[in-house]
Amino acid sequence: MSVSPAALVARRALAAASTSSHAGGARTWKILTFVLAIPAVAVCMANAYMKMQEHSHHERPEFVPYPHLRIRTKKFPWGDGNHSLFHNPQNNALPDGYETSHH
Amino acid sequence: MAHQAHAYHMVDPSPWPLTGAIAALLMTSGLAVWFHQHSMILMAIGTVLMLLTMYQWWRDIVREGTFQGHHTPPVQKGLRYGMILFITSEVFFFLGFFWAFYHASLAPTPELGGCWPPTGIFTLDPLEVPLLNTAVLLASGVTVTWAHHSMMGGDRKQAIQSLTMTIVLGFYFTVLQAMEYVDAPFTIGDGVYGATFFVATGFHGLHVMIGSIFLAVCLLRQIKHHFTSGHHFGFEAAAWYWHFVDVVWLFLYVSIYWWGS
Repeated sequence: MSVSPAALVARRALAAASTSSHAGGARTWKILTFVLAIPAVAVCMANAYMKMQEHSHHERPEFVPYPHLRIRTKKFPWGDGNHSLFHNPQNNALPDGYETSHH
Repeated sequence: MAHQAHAYHMVDPSPWPLTGAIAALLMTSGLAVWFHQHSMILMAIGTVLMLLTMYQWWRDIVREGTFQGHHTPPVQKGLRYGMILFITSEVFFFLGFFWAFYHASLAPTPELGGCWPPTGIFTLDPLEVPLLNTAVLLASGVTVTWAHHSMMGGDRKQAIQSLTMTIVLGFYFTVLQAMEYVDAPFTIGDGVYGATFFVATGFHGLHVMIGSIFLAVCLLRQIKHHFTSGHHFGFEAAAWYWHFVDVVWLFLYVSIYWWGS
């Protein structure tokens, strides 16, 4: 069985990364940080931003007073007891409908 | 003057377990009083007492280990077992919320429309911010490993740099998730979907904040030269906790954000 030189190099590098006595271990993870981890975050940031732009023309769903949603068995212990902690008047309807008229 | 003839740590008497127990009592009963009698005072006193207990207890552990030398190898081994057992208990804690989610979503009731997501629920796109959050936490796992190897190799500057990056990524996750919470078209009151979503992700977010604080304390201690290349268990415990937080997110992402959408 022959193993490719690239695979051998990769195997050696990863073995070095896992031994605690070899100072080269930190270098491997530093490289992974700047070559893999940070670019992946940057790509996902760009992707999320572009997708958000795509539907910034917010068509929010029409209000239907479903009984299984917007449950108010007990009042929230703050404010008027009818708004959740992260309530957003644009996106979150109250049990009787949206608070804001636009969109 | 007697000296100990063993390697273990016989801890001096301490008031913090008692103040911690009292804090737990005041916080829980305070929560009930807040819900039913609309007074926050008991809960506030409990919270303050809890914060004071945590600060002073952990300060004392740093004094005993770093400055007084009580954390011999057998003592450190015990601390490792302790952290592993604690994280295991946290795994079971989250298991319960995943159980609730799968119970509700695998056999959705007629009241929900017999489907999952329930009728009228508009889920978040898993490929938008949730995917970014996944990348952020995975990246922080890479940076915290870089920090560990730097510490083991005695590279002080790189350890500080990579640990700082880890904390920044954790903070970025928290900010992104808070924005998601505000922008979400559903709330915690939206039936079992809202309940399982916000309780599971909410407790996860709390653990991200706790983990970030743990790492920040380690950063402060690293700057103050508390850690050596061979002995830095406080940091290892923080790193283990951070990896646990990352793994919980991966399960949340696959189960609730992706499969459940």
